Amino acid sequence: MNPVLLWFHQLGSPPIFDRFAARWAPWCYAVAFVLMGIGLWQAFQVPADYQQGDSFRIFYIHVPSAMMSMLVFGVMAVYAAIALIWRIKLCEILAMACAPVGAAFTLITLVTGSIWGKPMWGTWWDWDPRLTTELILLFLYLGVTGLYHAIDDRRAAARAAGLLAIVGVALLPVIKYSVVWWNSLHQGQTISLFGDSKIDPSMQLPFWLMFVAVQFWFAGSLLSRARADNLRREAGKDWVAKLAVRP
Amino acid sequence: MTYLNYVIGAYAVFAVVMFWDLLVPQLQIRRELRAARLRKAREAKRAEPVELSR
Repeated sequence: MNPVLLWFHQLGSPPIFDRFAARWAPWCYAVAFVLMGIGLWQAFQVPADYQQGDSFRIFYIHVPSAMMSMLVFGVMAVYAAIALIWRIKLCEILAMACAPVGAAFTLITLVTGSIWGKPMWGTWWDWDPRLTTELILLFLYLGVTGLYHAIDDRRAAARAAGLLAIVGVALLPVIKYSVVWWNSLHQGQTISLFGDSKIDPSMQLPFWLMFVAVQFWFAGSLLSRARADNLRREAGKDWVAKLAVRP
Repeated sequence: MTYLNYVIGAYAVFAVVMFWDLLVPQLQIRRELRAARLRKAREAKRAEPVELSR
């Protein structure tokens, strides 16, 4: 068997996944911390915007979080689909571990956007399509988490919550194109992964650093949360007992 | 206008939520391992032979 494929199959084993997560989660957090540190330092070095003043610096936490709020939902739906089709327990765990991390990023997006909106738009909140769909995304994340914890049978709970995640994916293009489809208060796309960005190049470096940092943060958080859930599901097994008494 | 108070507020929210996201899984892992340790200790105690006295 192909060694990469073999490793991937072995990763489905709970003790092997536990070792993998315990080893790599701290590294992911460490890389995220370093990149975030440099990114945030850079964010306060670039000159203030000529119209928005310093308030534009909120962009460096708001936009990466907004991108992650959608990306994490997509990842969660992919894991949920794999778990539903092939009944892979680890994918159920990973899908459910995505929900709180995604909810955290969505909350940051909504709150920091609101804080930016007060001085720029003159209001904390507006029922603008982008803001409203992002709020629905937060409710979806909370719904997935709530459903997962509402059913005693963990596997049945993961399947039900996974189905909600798959259905919820339909919201992602609505969020992404809400600023195109409707004439709304929220500005259009400022930065693009693959095309030209509308932001001045001198202001882009902190954004890209923060963008990569939140990817590593997500990886670290996903591994840690999945590890905790894996341990909970495997409670009573020999390998967990051995791990617990290890000094 | 610098709007620095708004910037500080937004970054504080970011820091608090990220700290929560970092802390919660670590506490969950610690709790699960502690529960496993206690379970193991209980099982070991139950397996000890009990001396009956008159």
